[in-house]
Amino acid sequence: MKIKHISILILLISASQVYAQQEMMLHSLSNLWHSNTSVNPAFFPENKNIVIGLPAYSIDAAHSGKITYNDIFRKDGDRTVIDFDNAINKLDPENELSFDQRIETLSFGFRTPNGKWGIQAGHAIAFSGTLNYPKSLPELLWNGNAPYIGQTVQIGLQADISDWHEWSVGVMRKVGILNIGVRAKYLTGISAVRTDDDRHSMSLYTDPDIYQLTLKTDYAFYSSSIISAIDTAGLGFDVTLGSFKNNIRSKNNGIAFDLGATAQITERLSLNASVVNLGGLIKWKNDPRYFQSKAEYTYEGTSIPGADIINGSDSLDFDTKLDTLNDIFRFSQTATSAMETNTPMRIYVGGSFQLTKRWNLGLTVFHQKKDKTNDTAVGASVRFLPVKWLSLGTMYSVNNRSAANLGFHLAVTPGPVQVYFLSDNLLNAFSLKSSPAANLRAGLSLAF
Amino acid sequence: MGSLWSACNKSDFDNVELDDHSAEFAFPLFSTTLTLEDLLFKVLNDESSDDTLFINPDGTMTLYYTGDVAEKPASDIFNTFPSGPAPIPDTFYKYPFYSNEGVTIREAVFKGGTINLAILNSTGETLTGTFTVPQMSKNGNTLSIPLTVPPNATFPFITPLFSLEGWKAESDSNELIFIYDLRKPNGERVKIPEIAPGTPGIFVVFQSLVLSYLEGYWGYSSYPLTRDTIEIDINQTDLDGGITIKSPRVTMLISNSWGFPTRGYIKYLSFIGQNGEEIPLETTAFNDDSLDFNYPSYPNEIGQTKYTEVLLDENNSNIADIFNAQPTRLIYEVEGISNAQRDSTLIGFLTDSSLIRLSMRVELLLEGTAKNFGAEQEMDLNFGDYSDLDTGKIESVEFKLVTENGTPIAADMQILFLDDAGMVLDSLFNDGARLIMESAPITNGVASGVTRQENFVTMSASRFDRIRQTKKAILKTSYTTAQGGTVPVKLLATNAAVVKMGIKVKTRY
Repeated sequence: MKIKHISILILLISASQVYAQQEMMLHSLSNLWHSNTSVNPAFFPENKNIVIGLPAYSIDAAHSGKITYNDIFRKDGDRTVIDFDNAINKLDPENELSFDQRIETLSFGFRTPNGKWGIQAGHAIAFSGTLNYPKSLPELLWNGNAPYIGQTVQIGLQADISDWHEWSVGVMRKVGILNIGVRAKYLTGISAVRTDDDRHSMSLYTDPDIYQLTLKTDYAFYSSSIISAIDTAGLGFDVTLGSFKNNIRSKNNGIAFDLGATAQITERLSLNASVVNLGGLIKWKNDPRYFQSKAEYTYEGTSIPGADIINGSDSLDFDTKLDTLNDIFRFSQTATSAMETNTPMRIYVGGSFQLTKRWNLGLTVFHQKKDKTNDTAVGASVRFLPVKWLSLGTMYSVNNRSAANLGFHLAVTPGPVQVYFLSDNLLNAFSLKSSPAANLRAGLSLAF
Repeated sequence: MGSLWSACNKSDFDNVELDDHSAEFAFPLFSTTLTLEDLLFKVLNDESSDDTLFINPDGTMTLYYTGDVAEKPASDIFNTFPSGPAPIPDTFYKYPFYSNEGVTIREAVFKGGTINLAILNSTGETLTGTFTVPQMSKNGNTLSIPLTVPPNATFPFITPLFSLEGWKAESDSNELIFIYDLRKPNGERVKIPEIAPGTPGIFVVFQSLVLSYLEGYWGYSSYPLTRDTIEIDINQTDLDGGITIKSPRVTMLISNSWGFPTRGYIKYLSFIGQNGEEIPLETTAFNDDSLDFNYPSYPNEIGQTKYTEVLLDENNSNIADIFNAQPTRLIYEVEGISNAQRDSTLIGFLTDSSLIRLSMRVELLLEGTAKNFGAEQEMDLNFGDYSDLDTGKIESVEFKLVTENGTPIAADMQILFLDDAGMVLDSLFNDGARLIMESAPITNGVASGVTRQENFVTMSASRFDRIRQTKKAILKTSYTTAQGGTVPVKLLATNAAVVKMGIKVKTRY
């Protein structure tokens, strides 16, 4: 896999994320079963005692800056053209691509008829990743190094990407106006890649003299169950991937806890709070490897002995040794037992107020701690129930990326069926290709 | 992570292509350091081992062209006591041993060799007696060989070999007295009858005589010493243009252990110019074309070597003018004359190791000027991986040629690219342009600092394609010392010029 192809992959990944859906709106819909499994274990569909959660899918992805799918890909007849020039122009000097994906496969909930106790169990597959890269990386790969003569170009990217299974069991207890839920999650890691926080430097310097190239690396990353080798010989950058075994059972184990509570303050006013993935930590023991590259090499071209030129005894050999330059990456790998990743911890605090029988007002405060980043969002929602089995709503929210997020939801709950589609950003949901962020959720469950 | 892809609309990526675009990559091609030392070693004809480039303590360089060392052992010229038979016509005989004309040996010491006698005894009786050379002695004993000669009228009796090692012969007239005293059993002394009329029946035979010392009088005598040619190959290269050496010198070196006066007579001393013309070296260093060599004197300096050095430079000769004409060789012929002053009282000596060594050396301190001093150098080329590039994806290339000149010599350069048949396909610089490399700044005739210059050569993809396929190149260079070749500069061994090249390749996809 050539370096340029790596960059394409990165942008393809970012492009794919722009397709997805969101999560804060779900918090405002406490009567949907998946609001229990995803945001607050104390939520339970109103007047229901048995719930079967069927598949649900959510994705929350964003790229810093203004770059969108349409900035990268454009149609030219029946082909899709990757327009890197345009895409690169939209990048910030430092860029972050974050994405979270969650697939709820199956879950169950049971609540005693008197509502005092409840239990629950479920399974989900989660994917969480953050990718930080300098604009100079795609610029260098796309435009060449000539525009950077005399400059040191940082090309190291940072990644923290992992996916895992969640196996959860929980219990709920109603005490007075409080409904408290606790859920324990057994995590089995599927795969992970994480750069070493202290070693993520790669730089290229092109000397203005005769363009001598100095490549300096102090770069390292952990990998489990995904990358088994990197071959940088012969100007290549071939990444050998491990087999994608989405094994449910794995030696990559961890636990996390979800805590939640709701309080029915008055007949119309309820408050809630939850912490999701509290203490979430996975220890990666399935073939964890530490890849590292630490080198400095200056390629000065072919050194021809002056006497050879003067004497004409040998040929003037311009044969390049650029292979050597690339080969200084020469990642070495060692087994490691030190690989751990934290699952993103989320805090939700909110409340809802029933204005009328058909109108509800809601407020949600969201905070997420993910690796080294903290994201906070605040949203206010309005919910309209024209009929008992139909819920329509909208939410205005402000988050780190934007102060102009207008979400919506559509939930249809005829009988035991719960079907919903929602997003924290209405515009993103229907114009994914023109937005730098995406947030979508859809799901199905049965509640009796 | 495969689940990630579930969010993608796969059909969008079924036919993905990169947009057309240009990129520009810059990387170094080569660098080389050309030192004046290397250059001068090239200028020197490497096949001539007598050429020496000496780096002086101050970094200046001196070129030495040295002719063959002519060695003349004394034995080559003075052949005293030749081996062979000598007849003894009578019982008392003064044997005139050979010596060169005008040379009188009064003492000779033998290092080796033998003497014996061949006697045809036709008397019919056994003869007994001695053979004596009263002028030869060893450890106080006179040379006397006892003899017993059986009768034999047909075959001569050969006496055993007698070693002369360590024996000394003394004479004042280049003669040795031989006395044989042979008697019959009855005591009668006899003279060995002649074999034929005028041919004695007794001979003394000298074999393999080697002398370790000769002492005597050497009279006036002349003999050839050497004739040699020194190639001045700094002026015999393919280089064009002119070069002026500031202070050329010719040195004649003589080492002499002959123990009598010898005069060198310069029979011929001329340079040969570029066109074969003779340019005589005129000098006041010689007296009537002659030079008396220093020599060890008798008796206190026996075995010593004396040296004579004659320096011909711009102060005592026309050598500076000669070198302006860039001579290609020096031819010289020297003759030796012993006792040129004909001193009849002079006593001299020779030992078995006495010899005269004579050599000439041309000495060029590399300080001077050069103007359009040019050369052509053909080189093989190998563009390596660049030969395999798909030039369909190349828009243009730009070479960056950087020179960092730390020499007092300016140069201009052109590279011609040839096909396998030697036909010129292209050149690095077009339209008469050439790479100009200015000399370093000059302070007191010495390069002080470095002059850096950058040259850019832009080529179209098609031209680059043509050049990168070539396998040979001719590097045409001409040198001019600082300030247009008008001011003499010193060439230091540490002077160097760095030539390096990088390339920018503009690609299109």
